[in-house]
Amino acid sequence: MAATLVIILVFAAIGVFPYFVPSPYILHIGTLIFIWSFITTAWSYMGRFGLVSLGHGAFLGVGAYTTGLLFNYFGFTPWVGMLLGALAAVGLAVVVGYACFRFGVIGDYFALVTLALGEVVALTLIAFRDITGGSLGFTLKSKGTSLFYFQSEEKIHFYYASLGFLVLALLVWKWIDRSKMQKALRAIGEDEIAASTLGMGIIRYKMIITMISAFMTAIGGVLYAQYITYLNPHTLSGVAPSLEIAFKAILGGMFSLWGPAIGTALIISLEEYFRVAYGSTFVGFSQIIYGLALVLLIIFLPKGIYGSLQDFVAKRKKS
Amino acid sequence: MLEIEKLNVFYDEFQALFDISLKVSEGETVITVGPNGAGKSTLLKTISGLLPLRSGSITFLGHRIDRRPAHEIVELGITHVPEGGRLFPQLSVYENLRVGSFLPRARGEAAATLKEIYGLFPILDERKRQFADTLSGGERQMLAIARSLMSRPKLILLDEPSSGLAPRVVTRVFEFVHQIKSQGYAILMVEQNVRKGLQLSDRAYLIESGRIVKEGLRKTFLDDSYIRKAYIGL
Amino acid sequence: MTELLLNSIVNGILLGGVLALLAFGMNLIFGVVKIIHLAYGQCVMLGMYVVYTLAVQAQIPVILSCILVLPIMGIVGILLQLLVINPLLKAKANPLTQLLALAGLTIVVENLAQVVWGADLRGINIQLPIISIGSVFVRTSNLIAFFGALLTLWGLYLFLNRTYLGLAIRSIAQDLDSARLMGINPRRIYLITMATGGILTGVIAAFFSPIYAVHPHFGGSFTMMAFIIVVLGGMGNLLGGFIGAFIIGVVTSVSGVLTSTEIADIIVLIIFISVILVRPQGLLGIRVSK
Repeated sequence: MAATLVIILVFAAIGVFPYFVPSPYILHIGTLIFIWSFITTAWSYMGRFGLVSLGHGAFLGVGAYTTGLLFNYFGFTPWVGMLLGALAAVGLAVVVGYACFRFGVIGDYFALVTLALGEVVALTLIAFRDITGGSLGFTLKSKGTSLFYFQSEEKIHFYYASLGFLVLALLVWKWIDRSKMQKALRAIGEDEIAASTLGMGIIRYKMIITMISAFMTAIGGVLYAQYITYLNPHTLSGVAPSLEIAFKAILGGMFSLWGPAIGTALIISLEEYFRVAYGSTFVGFSQIIYGLALVLLIIFLPKGIYGSLQDFVAKRKKS
Repeated sequence: MLEIEKLNVFYDEFQALFDISLKVSEGETVITVGPNGAGKSTLLKTISGLLPLRSGSITFLGHRIDRRPAHEIVELGITHVPEGGRLFPQLSVYENLRVGSFLPRARGEAAATLKEIYGLFPILDERKRQFADTLSGGERQMLAIARSLMSRPKLILLDEPSSGLAPRVVTRVFEFVHQIKSQGYAILMVEQNVRKGLQLSDRAYLIESGRIVKEGLRKTFLDDSYIRKAYIGL
Repeated sequence: MTELLLNSIVNGILLGGVLALLAFGMNLIFGVVKIIHLAYGQCVMLGMYVVYTLAVQAQIPVILSCILVLPIMGIVGILLQLLVINPLLKAKANPLTQLLALAGLTIVVENLAQVVWGADLRGINIQLPIISIGSVFVRTSNLIAFFGALLTLWGLYLFLNRTYLGLAIRSIAQDLDSARLMGINPRRIYLITMATGGILTGVIAAFFSPIYAVHPHFGGSFTMMAFIIVVLGGMGNLLGGFIGAFIIGVVTSVSGVLTSTEIADIIVLIIFISVILVRPQGLLGIRVSK
């Protein structure tokens, strides 16, 4: 009960925050945190059950580019494009996912296949440079501030929009957590071979969770693209964003509801801090620290920050 | 030469050995018998350094070896022939033997030792270019024992040398163990085949459920009615 | 057209030689230390930067620079063992965690390169002549790399099969506990393996320096390629890596000529995915129970 109250208060605070501190910069950072928390939470739908994907950039890219290209070339509203892009991402997930699950590819081999997938999407986007602008990406045609075209010249709109999407992602997490699918997936996550006595059920549950994750991630990609109004294959597909998503979720604690969001908030804040403090002198310096912190945290806190905190609190309670 | 005092070994929270105290003297052949799962293999693995111990002490030739890493214990002169031999599958017979003489002190005499080994086990000379996993069960066991001799040890830990072998082959293997014994090596053996094992040994220990239940000279064991009934089946 | 094809096949084979070195290093490390060195290509990149720094910035003659890079990268390998791999082994990290930790390392190395040397291309600008054999044109630098790689591989083969140390390394790879019972110190072997892997990245860097200019993302594509080769040939299988290197070298070269570099990469990635799906143990690998 007390926990729910705290959550409501925190969200309320975040909600009214812009009116007390109308700094566009902070709104920008906040929006980025919400968008990426949305994406990392969606990633963790799979991650928490042992389906660790290092290729979610593929879904970001498919979602964002489908929407962006349909808009730029045919004037499709992003709301429709978003749906089509998400469905395309789901299609991709179904094909690759089914192949993996059917052939029993799990664990680190699964991670490697997803890694390759993310790169395939990135390379495809670059290869068709006449349409997509290749490595240089492309910019969305400006429509000013328009709900129909999901663009805005005021930071505050996307602040609330992305916050809303984040809440949605968290609610979906809760829904999955309460479903009977969760029990089956938990069993699979813990001991695949034992759970295989459930038969065909395994593949079905894995497919469902993968499809949901792909769908939401694609939408996240669209969110980001619409906010920045610029698409680039290196930020919206390929190895780099895929790894970043995984890192943020794992660091925060990929088994919990708040873990990915916390990890995302921490890392984006950290990155911003380093960029502001050192960015002008050493381009990439912040990334070095970031990478080092990642490696250290992965080695010493396998359950992520939030997860380790939970453990710590639980231990204190015992004694 | 080997003294174990009040050894306690755990697998996580499960205690496998309780206050084991045991001795092996120079040139002696000592056998530990007991039912499966009693902890006999665990004992050997702890001595050779593959397993950590919770408490107790192991002393060899005056040196404490209980907290030393396995490769240092080999250096001091103890070799361990694990159950099944644990040969290197993708190395040839010759290479398996050669690895046995990896220790700097054994390398110099490796050629001479190899000659002796081929003398004792001519079949290994015949098969020296073959991969270890193409040998028969008995040959593998011989290779494993031969390999352990390459390091010129002082004490040999033998874990179930007869395991998985046909009776005729077992006899041959034990003949070899007897030959080794007559060369003066000290041997600590774990063996299921109590009758044959006791024939080779000077002293014996009976371990049940991780504890030493009986110890004594060979004759005492052979004459003991409990042991005869439970383990020799006479 | 056939001339173009022939050219690309020959160049693919030449490339395959050096890729074989890359695959050897990764397979050695995987076989012995049991870790997938995801940052191996980045280490090669680092080596190339070292050669650049020595040859261009410190004005040390190129040949000497190429020799000096070997011990330097060997030390890098040792540092990796001490600072990254030992902690990973101590924490008993599962393979996924290891993968992620090394992926994190790639980020560190790439950005380190960017900070220290900048994002621009850095090359040692050596022009070696192009020679023609029949209707095929090859660069001498590629020929040197090819034969140098084969020579190195031959040396490594001798090392692994004719020396006690090589024997110890192979034993640790096959049965860790058994090797310990032979008096072999695993930590020492891991260190030697990582040092050897490091020196190898130096060798590859030396061969690559006259051919390619280096930039911070150079390592990424080579890590991917090395990785795909290793999976194709069977992880930990040295012969498989050797064969796989030439297959991938030729496929990449020919596809690059027939289509484009990106599509060539896509084809290689699809081969990779297919191999994992259909025959994860690779062409020559032994299936280990999952």
